[in-house]
Amino acid sequence: MKVLLENLPLLLPLIIIELVLMTVALVHIFRHPNYRFGNRAVWILAVVFIQIIGPVIYLLFGRGEDE
Amino acid sequence: MREYGAFTKKEFLEFFRTYKYLVMGLVFLLLGIMSPLAAKFLPELMKEFMPEGMQIALAEPSALDAWAQFFKNVTQIGLIILVILFSGSMASEYGKGTLVTILAKGMPRKTVIFAKFTAASAAWTGAYLLCFLTAWFYAWYFWRGEAWSAALLFSVFCLWLFGILLIAASLFGGVLFRTIYGSLLFTGGIVVLQFLLNIVPKAGKYLPVSLASQNMALLQGTAVTADLAWAAVTTAVLTVLFLAGSCFVFGKKQI
Amino acid sequence: MNALKIESLKKSFGANTVINDMSLEIPEHSVFGFLGQNGAGKTTTMKMILGFLEPDGGSIEVFGEPVVYGKSGTNRYVGYLPDVPQFYSYMKPMEYLRLCGAAAGMGPGETEAAGTRLLDMVGLKNNGKKIGGFSRGMKQRLGIAQALLHSPKLLICDEPTSALDPVGRKEILEILEQVTEKTTVLFSTHILSDVERVCDRVAVLHEGKLALCGTMEEIRAAKKRSGIYVEFREKEEWKKFRGLPELSHLFIHAEASGRGAAIRTADVDRTGNEILQALERHEMVPLKFEIEEPGLEDLFMEAVL
Repeated sequence: MKVLLENLPLLLPLIIIELVLMTVALVHIFRHPNYRFGNRAVWILAVVFIQIIGPVIYLLFGRGEDE
Repeated sequence: MREYGAFTKKEFLEFFRTYKYLVMGLVFLLLGIMSPLAAKFLPELMKEFMPEGMQIALAEPSALDAWAQFFKNVTQIGLIILVILFSGSMASEYGKGTLVTILAKGMPRKTVIFAKFTAASAAWTGAYLLCFLTAWFYAWYFWRGEAWSAALLFSVFCLWLFGILLIAASLFGGVLFRTIYGSLLFTGGIVVLQFLLNIVPKAGKYLPVSLASQNMALLQGTAVTADLAWAAVTTAVLTVLFLAGSCFVFGKKQI
Repeated sequence: MNALKIESLKKSFGANTVINDMSLEIPEHSVFGFLGQNGAGKTTTMKMILGFLEPDGGSIEVFGEPVVYGKSGTNRYVGYLPDVPQFYSYMKPMEYLRLCGAAAGMGPGETEAAGTRLLDMVGLKNNGKKIGGFSRGMKQRLGIAQALLHSPKLLICDEPTSALDPVGRKEILEILEQVTEKTTVLFSTHILSDVERVCDRVAVLHEGKLALCGTMEEIRAAKKRSGIYVEFREKEEWKKFRGLPELSHLFIHAEASGRGAAIRTADVDRTGNEILQALERHEMVPLKFEIEEPGLEDLFMEAVL
């Protein structure tokens, strides 16, 4: 782990990307009550705890139509 | 031309407002960062997690390892994301019937095909470029001059061209079968078919899939530009055929 | 010149023949009501006019130009409103109209002007929402706006009022009435009062053919006096009349109601005389003796039953 901590600035972009994806997905979840499948609770958990893949899956597949 | 411009713009707007740009851009940026990082730090991380006293010989990571990671990630994750993102394009137009009012305005049907191809190609080019430049920056940061090699640009170009072929294939699949799965299966089928043909001796030279598998060989010098020239030509020809096929078939479809 | 000319059109889906040798002409500047039961083939016909479906036989001409399947050349004259118009849900109304304008080959300035005017006309001018959040009525109104954007010479509307509530229907009909001054309109419906309100020509599609076709006056004139209504003061009198042997053949085509009946006949004068003579012979005086002029609904029922 020491190696990673020493190079934190290099890893920062990764963390930012994850945060951006998570924020966008969360905002969308809270603004829209309907999802193609799953419910709000499931998606919040998926988006917060499954890094990168959770938000990507939500934005590409789980997101409901614009209402 | 005006129709083409407007419909291409509509495609861009669709990519933007349905989060496709965001996802694609960020995922490719991520791949660009991850590849050199993984090459640089994975060996050290592995050493730390090894049980005490166990010895393994690990070579010092090099810029080549970073490019190996880059090509592996873009082929295995990037291209799949690209095809998944784009495969629903035709299917949703067919499924919802959104083209009816537009085509009833007198817009030629082939405009739809060209506009969709243009928008998807532009998105792929942008995302791939972002990924490559990021990876290059990190590789340069770790290994400086080593990050560059004469064959690099051609190798990167080959994978780009393969991506363009996949876009044309998924477009053709979508026009043909009207569904996301049709488009995905067709594109997947084209790739699998090439793997099968690859068994035939000397066929590999002409197969587009070489453009996505020989990238490291180019950098290591075990393959040269001329070895992939035929594959590039086949790819270009196939792309044009898929587009022409899409226009032809779409012109005959009942809407 | 004819806005639309259809000659012996044929179309079947598998074994199911939808349009069977249909011919139709719509002169310019008319408002044409296209009637038919659900599934009679109205939408199919319209899609063939737009080149979206391939006819099995026959020809279609729009303003003298033949319609070719899969090509959309003739569509530049045509504005089309599908029964349930589908839009890109992520767009705003004006963005959508800009796309439509370009698709029709209009310049940006022209599109902007026509788009603003039409959005105003259909009451969506100050709507900043994306189309995804629109109600059905709003989508229908946007549908009319996009259909009229390029000032088409022929406007084709597929069941424009069927899915709407009474207020929405009234709005759409008023909009249609406004545009009829400059545009030839073909619209399909199964709501007959809408037709009586706005159309000057009608055709009834039944079993793949036109069961009825012409101007409203022509049709009314041709089918005039199609029934005789006789009613009596007392039920006994009616029973006696009903039992007269010389009139029994008339009651085959009669709708009885309490003390009287509407007798259907092709020749009103002859049947009328028969009835009157019988009444005289038996010294009966009816409460009512009336020649019925049919409304559009009767004509429609007659055509399809």
